[in-house]
Order: sequence, then C-alpha cells, then structure tokens
Amino acid sequence: MITYYACCFAVVLLLTQPAFGVKVNGKLSSRLDFYPDNADGTASEGRSGEVKIDAFHDFEKNRIVGEFIFRGDEKDNGRRITEARQAYFRSPFAGFDFFVGNRQEFWGKAESKNVVDVINQSDAAANEGKSGKLGAPSISAERYLDIGDLQLWYISSFREKTFNDSDAHPSSGVPVSSAQYARKEGKYADDFAARLSSFAGDWDLAGSVFYGTARDPILSVNSNGRALNPHYALQKSIGFEAQYTGNVTLLKWESLHGTQSSLIGAHDFAAAVAGIEYTYYGAFETIWDIGLIGEIQHDDRPQAAANQFCVAGLRLVFNDIADSNFLFLASVDRKTDQSFVSLEASRRINDVTSVKLTSQFYNARTTTSAFGQLSDDDAITFTLNIFF
Amino acid sequence: MKLATVTTFVTIASAVMTTAAIASPEKGLEIAIEADSRDKGFGNSTAQIKMILMDKYGQSTERAIRNRTFEGDNEGDKSLVIFDSPGDVRGTAFLSHTKKADSDDQWLYLPALKRVKRIASSNKAGPFMGSEFSYEDIASQEVEKYTYKYLRDEELNGLDCFVVEYDPVDRKSGYKRQIVWMDKSEYRVHKIDFYDRKDALLKTLTYEDYNQYQDKFWRSNRLVMINHQTGKKTELVFTDWKFQTGMTERDFEKSALKRTR
Repeated sequence: MITYYACCFAVVLLLTQPAFGVKVNGKLSSRLDFYPDNADGTASEGRSGEVKIDAFHDFEKNRIVGEFIFRGDEKDNGRRITEARQAYFRSPFAGFDFFVGNRQEFWGKAESKNVVDVINQSDAAANEGKSGKLGAPSISAERYLDIGDLQLWYISSFREKTFNDSDAHPSSGVPVSSAQYARKEGKYADDFAARLSSFAGDWDLAGSVFYGTARDPILSVNSNGRALNPHYALQKSIGFEAQYTGNVTLLKWESLHGTQSSLIGAHDFAAAVAGIEYTYYGAFETIWDIGLIGEIQHDDRPQAAANQFCVAGLRLVFNDIADSNFLFLASVDRKTDQSFVSLEASRRINDVTSVKLTSQFYNARTTTSAFGQLSDDDAITFTLNIFF
Repeated sequence: MKLATVTTFVTIASAVMTTAAIASPEKGLEIAIEADSRDKGFGNSTAQIKMILMDKYGQSTERAIRNRTFEGDNEGDKSLVIFDSPGDVRGTAFLSHTKKADSDDQWLYLPALKRVKRIASSNKAGPFMGSEFSYEDIASQEVEKYTYKYLRDEELNGLDCFVVEYDPVDRKSGYKRQIVWMDKSEYRVHKIDFYDRKDALLKTLTYEDYNQYQDKFWRSNRLVMINHQTGKKTELVFTDWKFQTGMTERDFEKSALKRTR
C-alpha cells in the first residue's frame, strides 16, 4: 500500500514539476532475454519493460527524494513490480541529517559479493545485480564526525526477497510459498544497524553492526516437493570493511561475523570476501584500461550457494566517447564442481540512449548443487535504455 | 645565398645559446609561485561546464557537467565534478582531494548503486569522460607538482608573456614537459603545449575569454584542447561562475558525494 501511494506521489511530482520546480528525470528500459538451455515447460525468451523516475525537490535545508520503478513483464509475474526504491524526506537536525522513508544504501568494498551490504533487500527477480534493490522503510541519521561518517538505522518493516515465477528464469522450477520468520513479529519486526566509515591515507575502513531479519532466506523444499519454503532467520552480526588504494592495485576486504537463529537452531557464522584488482592504465599504448580482478569468497551460512568461491575477472574500459566497457567474471566452487560465468558489455549510442548486453552461464557436475538447479537458466539479455 | 645561410645559422645558434643562458629554474619557480599567489583567497567557487567533443571529421557531441572547488589551506584544493548529461552517467560524481606532494585521493559516486568507490589516482594520463582532457589536466594545479624552467619572453596574441617549461614531478604523468605561455601583467595562462613521454608534441590547450571576478580572480570561459596526434578536439565552455558560495569543507567530504544532485 505504501508503494502504491508512493507511486501516486511520483505521478503527482511529474505533473507538478513545472509549477513547483521539482527536478524530474527518468529512464525507459526495454529488455529481451533469451534462454538457450531452457527446460521443457519453461520460457525460452522473455520481454519486459521498465520505467524509472527520479525526482527531488529542495526547500530551505530540506530535500524530498523519489526514485520509483514500474516494471512489466510479458509472462513472469515475479519480475512485475511497482516499487518506491527511494521515497524519503531529509532534514538536518542537531548536527545530524535525518532521513524518513524508503532508502537505498550500499555498504561494501568488493566486486563479486558484498557480505556487509545488509540494509536493503534484493530485488532478485529483476536480475539486475547489485542495483536491483528494494527500498528499506526506515528512519536513519547520518553525521560527519572527526573520526569518520556515522550512520544509524532503524528499519521499521521487512521486505521479502523477490523471486521469478517457477517457469521463468532463473528459478528452481517450483513455486515459492509464503515466507516464514524466526521472529514472532514476522515482517513487522524492527531492524537496527549502525556503521562508522573513515579513511586515512591510502586506507578506507568501515565497521558496522546489524540486529534484524537476515536478508537472504533459507530455502527448503516442502514435504511433497512442490514448493520452496523461504524461512527468514534472525541475524546478529558485526561487519568490517577495508580497502587499500595503491597506485594501480586495490586490495579489498569484507567480513561479516555473527549468529543466525532459525528453524534449524542458532548458529555462529562467518562470511568474507578478500580481493585484489590490478589495472593497466593506457594498456598497449592505447587509451584502454585493463583491470584484472581476483577474489575469494567464504560464506558458511546455509543460504550461500557454496562455502567457497574463487572469482577471476577482467574489466576493459575503452575510454572512448561512447563509454564502451566490458566485464567478465567467473566464479568457481572446486569442492562441489560448480561454476558461474557472467559477461557484461555496454556502450552509449547517443546522449539519451545506451545499450547493454549481458549473459550468464551456470555449470555444475551435480543437479543437487546450487548451480545444478539453475542448469536451464543460462541467459543472454539485451537492454535498450532511453533517458529523459 | 651563402651569406643568408650563415646569417640564419648565427641567428639560430645565438638564439639557442641565449635560451640556454637564460633557461632559469629559479625564475621559472618564481613565476609559478607568483601565479599561484595571485589566485589565493578565492575560498570556493562553482561553475557550469559544457564539454564539446569533436572528432577529426568535425562531428561533435556534448556533455553537461558542474564543477565545485574548495580552496585548500595546507594541502591542495578539493574539487567535485557532477555529471548532468549524457543520461547514462547523470548523477555520477567525481571527488578529488589534491595533494601537493603525494598522490591525490579520489572517489567516484555511482548513482545506480548508491555506491561511493575509492579509485586509484595513478590514472593521470587517462582521458576524462572520453575527452582530450586527461585527469591530470582537470586536476588542481599545485606548485609542488612540477619543476620549472623559465625559457624566454614572447608576445602571444598581443600580450607580453613569460614562456616557462613545467616538468611534472610524478613519473606517472602522461607528459614529459609542458610549455606554458603566461601574461606578465596578470599571470594568466594563455596557452600550453603538452609533450608526451617520447617528447613529441601531443596537445595544445588555449585559454580564451578571460573575466575577472571579485576584482581579483581571473577565469577563462573557454578552453580548447587540440590533440595533434589524433586530430580530435575538446572545448570546455564555462558559465555561471560563482565565488564564496557558502560551501564548507564538509561539502567536499566523501560522505557528501551521496548528497550531490
């Protein structure tokens, strides 16, 4: 209901833009997906469209911000969404900046996975990577201190992860049933988080704490095997982030330690990502930059696809007028012999149009592994974006 | 014919000897310090910039960006660049804390992710937004980042100018040297020839349409960079200069990147 009103608010913003000086712009996206290995009974292709509207209005020292997503899909109900990714009021008070409403926030340093990024729920059905998030309904405060930037968060209700339909992609092939929660208040349980981030010389550091409902559900197949049951655990965790920025080398670290209480009991957990990124600027006496990425992921939570992934990547930035770039990432879990490869290329066509080509390939030796269940979900996606 | 040749040789030889005799590091440094001191006290400033990129066939495309600068006391200036167009980079912001001796600290704000990302600052020679300006061209010019050689006096566009060689201290600079024409009356830069690491002429930057603000600070409203090796050209057209805008140092901290619009 909040989302509905927020989106009505977006329309009002658009209509009132000339009268009140509200600054509005947006993006219209058209997307085609192809699934070359689709199983019988699942989609071989998909078509969807999305309108994103950004608006803000400043008055005195305050600001109202709106970022609204309207996404339709030809077949996949899971991808359809009307979402106020951001819809908040910001005001300074007593040295703090206060934010009330839906917000999107990013915590983390690594490229392949951000274990400390706990504020927002993932809009996983959008399959848009890290930018596909659901707004966190919250009251938050930020203050710049001599020792760094302090953030305090109260998140008033929980957003469930979005899932694609069982015959869409990616999907485990069975419908997802209603969510269950370890906390008796269910989706209305309160979450709390805080973070202090700073930098000194070549080092960027941050520490955070979180008490609330874990963002990723533990998925189990029900007794008749015809549905997936998502169960959301209670999580208490401490996060740590570090990045060393050298001349051409970045060293990255993220870790999250804590406990999760769920149907299967209370368990301590640890998740971490360690990485290096080395960039050849002006490679081969051209204006190209070539980045080499290496990361190791560890995650012993039951929600993780595997305990350990080794990730290798290549980033090409052509530094041309069209901002052409290319990213390749391969994640390998040697223990259960499964891997995931993603390719992404994008460039600008003109001032208001850009195109993006992405592809995702899953490979697994056994059908019981996480990627084994996604064996028919290889995808090639073409997206056309028009900005207004 | 013979006499003419000899005369020419003598003229060239004496010019070379004169240049060698007066190529003065001390005077070069004095000129750079004087130019720097004349711009001290601007506090902070903002400007709108239209970037026009032209290929060698004359086809052009435009970018719109905003620039905010905060004058540093002990360290270099802090600058914030916000991209308004093209649409796919709208809202992206680039923050740089210039250091006099060390590498600059630089962050990028990616609006789609709401992510502030620290980036390596050694990419000095890389093109800024696909233009003919490199990151080091748009960075704050601090006296300590170069060694200097005063070369000669020369008239340029009717103005009596110093001609000074700037040699970058940082070996990661894309340039072996820069030859700078600066007028003697106001110490404003009018032209720079950039020589690449192989000492070949790479680019020429000209500064046009100077205006004075607050009875002290001169700013050029049109910068034209021509790349002699590719035939490409980039123009920066500045409008709406404002000084002492009420911005504080806090507006140039890493956390402020998320609030830029």
